[in-house]
Amino acid sequence: MNVLDRLPSGHGDRALIAGVVCLLVGALFALTPLRVQLPSAFYVFVEVGILFVIYGILVLGLDLQYGHTGLVNFGHVVFFAVGAYATAMLSAQDTFAGIGLGYPWPLGLAVGVIAAAILGAAVSLTSIRLRGDFLAIVTLATAEIFHSVFVNFEDIFGGNVGILGVPRPIAALVADGDTRLVATLLVLGGVTLLTLAVVTRLTEAPYGRVLRAIRADELVTRSVGKSTITYKTQAFVYGAALAGLAGGLFALYNGAVAPGFFTIQVTVTIWIGMLLGGAANHRAVLAGLAIIMGLRLVSRFALGVTPISGDVFASARLIVVGLILIAVIRYRPAGIWGDPRELGVDQ
Amino acid sequence: MGLLQELIFGLVTGSYIAIAAIGFTLIYGIVNMINFAYGEYLTLGAFIGFLAANALPGPLPVAVVAAMIGGGIVSIVLARGFFTPINHTGPVPMLLTSIGLGIALRNAIRLVGGRSARYFETETATFRFDAIPDVPVGPVDLLGGFFVTSEHLIVIGSAVAVFVSIHALLTRTDVGIAMRAMGDDESLARVRGIDTQLIRDSVWVLAGVLAGLAGVLMAVQTNVSADTGFSHILQILSAAILGGAGSPYGAILGAYVIGLVLAVSTAFLPSSMTGLSSAMAFVILIAVLLVKPSGIAGTEVREA
Amino acid sequence: MSLLSAEGLVKEFGGLRAIDELSVSVEEGELVGVMGPNGAGKSTFFNCVSGVVPPDDGTVTLKGTDVTGDSPESLAHRGLVRTFQNTRELETMTVRDNVRLAAPDQPGERTLPALLRSGSMTEREEAVRGRADELIEMFELDHLADEYSSNLSGGQRKLLELARTLMLDPDVLMLDEPFAGVNPTLTREIADHIRDLNENGMTIVIIEHELETLTELVDRLVVLQQGRLLVEGDPEVVLEDERVIEAYLGGDAE
Repeated sequence: MNVLDRLPSGHGDRALIAGVVCLLVGALFALTPLRVQLPSAFYVFVEVGILFVIYGILVLGLDLQYGHTGLVNFGHVVFFAVGAYATAMLSAQDTFAGIGLGYPWPLGLAVGVIAAAILGAAVSLTSIRLRGDFLAIVTLATAEIFHSVFVNFEDIFGGNVGILGVPRPIAALVADGDTRLVATLLVLGGVTLLTLAVVTRLTEAPYGRVLRAIRADELVTRSVGKSTITYKTQAFVYGAALAGLAGGLFALYNGAVAPGFFTIQVTVTIWIGMLLGGAANHRAVLAGLAIIMGLRLVSRFALGVTPISGDVFASARLIVVGLILIAVIRYRPAGIWGDPRELGVDQ
Repeated sequence: MGLLQELIFGLVTGSYIAIAAIGFTLIYGIVNMINFAYGEYLTLGAFIGFLAANALPGPLPVAVVAAMIGGGIVSIVLARGFFTPINHTGPVPMLLTSIGLGIALRNAIRLVGGRSARYFETETATFRFDAIPDVPVGPVDLLGGFFVTSEHLIVIGSAVAVFVSIHALLTRTDVGIAMRAMGDDESLARVRGIDTQLIRDSVWVLAGVLAGLAGVLMAVQTNVSADTGFSHILQILSAAILGGAGSPYGAILGAYVIGLVLAVSTAFLPSSMTGLSSAMAFVILIAVLLVKPSGIAGTEVREA
Repeated sequence: MSLLSAEGLVKEFGGLRAIDELSVSVEEGELVGVMGPNGAGKSTFFNCVSGVVPPDDGTVTLKGTDVTGDSPESLAHRGLVRTFQNTRELETMTVRDNVRLAAPDQPGERTLPALLRSGSMTEREEAVRGRADELIEMFELDHLADEYSSNLSGGQRKLLELARTLMLDPDVLMLDEPFAGVNPTLTREIADHIRDLNENGMTIVIIEHELETLTELVDRLVVLQQGRLLVEGDPEVVLEDERVIEAYLGGDAE
């Protein structure tokens, strides 16, 4: 039996291929006169789908931090926000408020990822030794501080209005609305699939073994010669960088960033998606996120059909979301598809 | 407004944060969880107080007592329903459960109570002291004419009453002494024959009573809305950790420090940026956790 | 020069000296047992030597180098590996993964080789898996190889720990109560493995309460009491020593 047979290569490689295909097809729509007709009923799906694939990158990053390494990051939205704002501020051309430097968008995106990674390094270097629930609080407080800074320093960040005039590369290439949506979904979805491939490769390698050992018992892992601080820091920074990437992509899709897009609700949505699907299983956490966002979709439909106000629906949906989180932790702590033996929980 | 006026406000804020922080930190020390739904306990206290004030005859204190009783009941019912069954799972699942509970409660209150804020109708007496010199230092007046309202005095007075009562409870009653024993070392307490579940239930009730009181006082000062409690949860948490997680006395000190910092930063920040003053509380929180996690008087929160 | 030596070790916890000016040295190839009533300081001694807890005073020397206060991972690289008394460890991994984890020098444990699935990574992983399987077989755990270690009995976990430590090819092996909570059959098996390892040249230090097995096994016995060295020497002689009998009758006898 040769080496290649013995090493895992299943869904990670398929994700890689699927990701490349999506990117290519998306590029095809963006760069050629090829057009797509989208029945108007599908718009909602595609729009929520775009948000889903962006959040998908977030949940994969969080799964690396928590699902695999056991780091309780309850401020994940801050890396999303920092990536988005950095990208926006570097590339925006005509922002009404705040700073917009007008550089090419690839540079903005790169800076967004790097900025998020740097913040991730700063947080982990200072806080990685804290007990689980306290790390949660520090990360949460960090997210609140940045939110407050973004809102209050209007001259720099644009206050509640945010940064406008961020370039939208796909929109610039494609005039037709339907095709633009589909191309965006394909391109961003492709990135998400590539992220899935990368994260899967990392965790299926011996690297992932060390992460899981750290989650199981850090002292024992150190006693067999592994520098656990290094791994914890890396996992945290990689997760933050991925969130920064998601943020940059969001900015370039939305054309604007504002504090309202980066609230604790995002962190909560990602967490519930991860726990519901099953932490430490990359495909499961994406599926769990899909279910949670499906709820959003359902409430959007219901909103169009019933006479109840949007506010009421939003509150009702959030009550359901909160109850799901409670129920998952109590009755199915490994989530729908997670492995309870992997996670050390009773189910 | 001068710094002196802001400090008075800070003293008032510190007072109701302190009342809440004592309950919060007792839950942390004895039930060993960070209860992120605690803000909602305050909100519920505020609503119960508001309804009681409008429905029942009698002065404000009646509503306050109703809020305290209501808070205690709500707390023990929620604890029994959501937290006690998962006591054995550890601090992180319990924190996450409390986050979920907080979201559900907050939105349920929003659904039932509506989006608009309600205000307590109270007759307040205001005591003005205008003859004080301004003593300006740059853009900030250090002193200047100030005022104190009867509501302010009620809040501060209630806080002092709470501190005295808590001290008496913890030092002179069996329940209180058992609480301290459990907070120090739970297995040892059990060995000594203390019924740990009973003490935990008592802590929930006590924390609920304190939350109810803090909530209604807060609402009298500001307003009653679904977000009343949640907007202060991070300050309460900061106060508790600053003072040393688990220590009620530390929580009191931490709360007044937070109140002071809020006051000073509001006074010195340009008016467009006063939103930053609450971020200050979080900065302090992070600083404390990184530099001296045990706070002013408390237990270690780092892993081995 | 001794392979491993601790000199003048002191460690205090909340005003109490858990170990007090403790000096113990271990020669290459020795099989040394450390015993003493509860509270004698055995665990603290182990923890200070193995980097889990830094001593307040004193030095630890390994192969001539001062390693006082070094981290557990650094000591593992230098050839000192220990096991743990509490068997709660790495329960969320299979037996195979537990053993494979411990292999040193794995390129696949670094980000870039892991992502690129480089040749050096797959080559080393192949070797690691082979060696792990060998060790699992040696300790007769092969029928449990794909079980999560939470499903193993106490004795089987001890064997797993031994297999894991051997992946590191240590110079000094420190075993923390290897027989605690293990049935007599497995105890004999574990003792046999320990003896074999020592006969093949490995230096081993053992903490144990199970005195019968311990004294049959070791070359030299070190007795601690209240953080200090009470007596050390030949097992038979030490056990007859009045001071030792006194210490056990006066304290917690096994």
